[in-house]
Amino acid sequence: MATVALRAPRTHRQKEIRRHVLIYLGLIPFLVIAVFPIFWMAITAIKQDSDLYLMGANPFWFHLPPTWKNFDILFRQTSYGDWIVNTIAVAFWVSAITLAVGVPAGYALARLRLPFAENLGIGIFMTYLVPAIILFLPLARVVSRLQLQDSWWAMVVIYPTITIPFCTWLLMGFFKTVPLELEEAAMLDGCGQAGALVRVVLPVSWPGLITAVIFSFTLSMQDFLYALAFVSVSDQKPVPLGVATELIRGDIYFWGSLMAGALLVGVPVAIVYNLFLDKFIAGITGAAIK
Amino acid sequence: MGKVTASASPKQNGLLAEVLSGRAERLRWTRTPTARRYLFGYTLLAPAVLYVTLLVGAPFVFSLYLAMSDATVGDPVARFVGLENFRAAVETSVFYTAVRNTLVFTVGAGILKGLLGTTLAFLLVQPFKGRKFVRALVVIPFTLPVAVSVLGWKWMFDSQFSVINWALSRLHLIGAYGSPDWPVWLGQPALALASVMFVNVWRGFPFGAIVLLAGMTSVPPEIIEAAKVDGANFLQRFRMVIVPMIAPILFIGTAFDTVFTLSDLSIVYLLTNGGPDGATEILPTLAYNTGIRGGALGRGAAISLFLFPLLLPAMILLLRTLRRRQY
Repeated sequence: MATVALRAPRTHRQKEIRRHVLIYLGLIPFLVIAVFPIFWMAITAIKQDSDLYLMGANPFWFHLPPTWKNFDILFRQTSYGDWIVNTIAVAFWVSAITLAVGVPAGYALARLRLPFAENLGIGIFMTYLVPAIILFLPLARVVSRLQLQDSWWAMVVIYPTITIPFCTWLLMGFFKTVPLELEEAAMLDGCGQAGALVRVVLPVSWPGLITAVIFSFTLSMQDFLYALAFVSVSDQKPVPLGVATELIRGDIYFWGSLMAGALLVGVPVAIVYNLFLDKFIAGITGAAIK
Repeated sequence: MGKVTASASPKQNGLLAEVLSGRAERLRWTRTPTARRYLFGYTLLAPAVLYVTLLVGAPFVFSLYLAMSDATVGDPVARFVGLENFRAAVETSVFYTAVRNTLVFTVGAGILKGLLGTTLAFLLVQPFKGRKFVRALVVIPFTLPVAVSVLGWKWMFDSQFSVINWALSRLHLIGAYGSPDWPVWLGQPALALASVMFVNVWRGFPFGAIVLLAGMTSVPPEIIEAAKVDGANFLQRFRMVIVPMIAPILFIGTAFDTVFTLSDLSIVYLLTNGGPDGATEILPTLAYNTGIRGGALGRGAAISLFLFPLLLPAMILLLRTLRRRQY
């Protein structure tokens, strides 16, 4: 009797351990595939050039001391500084336009019980799916008509076509979760509908607004085609385009600096995106966002 | 006179009163809270509707026009040429290669993403220690900006210093550099297509897994418990309860992924730009190289529009699923 009583919890623990081991074993290949490229890029970024091209040596570790030289090259010999400034400037203006347009639209769709609201909402969202590859040629005409070719302002005008549909949809879902009583109370207190939006709804919606800003930034960072098609002047490029086009000269790839430049911007974007990933998934699957 | 007025007036008065009261009603209606709400609402919506109409709707229509014109980059005056661009595109062999590759790429990568994503989702849905951390690591490929990670892959697929080859060589799966079985990932036609597909799968499978996971966790445990109580075994529960409940989310995930994959240029453009010898040419790269590099805007637009019939089923599926979910 005593032995049985003693053994029972241990088998449970053993079962748990076995379950964990199996799960981890299953996950290892996925983790290696997902993470290895980042490791490889990172180690390349801080290796000396001659360390990259050793045929026989184990490439997974250093044979010459690590170096910051590749970062130095980026900032001294390329327009990397300009690319970062452009990227941030584009992100700022795209976020501003997206909020200015998406917040009122999302609110109207969620709250004002307008006729055709659902069709309009889905219609706006569906434009998110019209791909850049179909739009970039006509938009090239628009950009040149606006005299914006070879300027990062072209991206400020064009990226909201990606972010407005997505963020309007996201904000609509968000505003639906704000309690109606809040607005009713504000309106009883003499606020108009607009006053209720500005004074009551927006202050409690700041998580939604921040999410919209984050996606304005990360979604515009995912673009490559528009930047490639509209900007060819070095000091107007955003980081992804600059790194991909200016650090390759003919057949010569500056791998160290390429990886350094790519990761320096890629990793922060990936981290922020990661933190907000659930909201992105909830957004596209049309679930309520909390 | 007076008589005439008198005889006509009741009728006229009635009419007038009717018109007047109608107008008054309309006047009053515009001041009702409902009307003011509508006015307010459509004013708030106007900028968004205008933005997407002007910069998505109009360009889309314009791309149809562009595709039927002989517009080039240098010559802004375009003449109408009807379906000439489509005919010319269809008559080149590279177009067929591009269509074939696009289909192989989308379907092949789609299946792989489905398998890997499902496996990963089933692993991640279990409770275990460090689950959040593992999840955060596993979604990295999807969250990294595409141009950034593709450059990393380009270096890993290097013809001479590929780390993949180094590892394979060490495991004696392939010979040393220079031996005939040394794979040049981006330089051999079949391998190049497999490589670009692999990068797409690498980027897409975490997305599939996370979407599926969101679907799985949205099934309330009580329902599964209820099915258990009713005597349903694991497979029955899976088929009768879990699948129908997560199906809409699965459709949405698939539709999004298909649209993203079909229209993505950056992986192929940065890795191979369609080479070697057209082995990885897909419709997006062909459209870009024809339209922007070659300067034949009309022809490029025509080629990119061939993507539309491929995109349409995914979009319709999504539209229908979202409508059902949302309201």
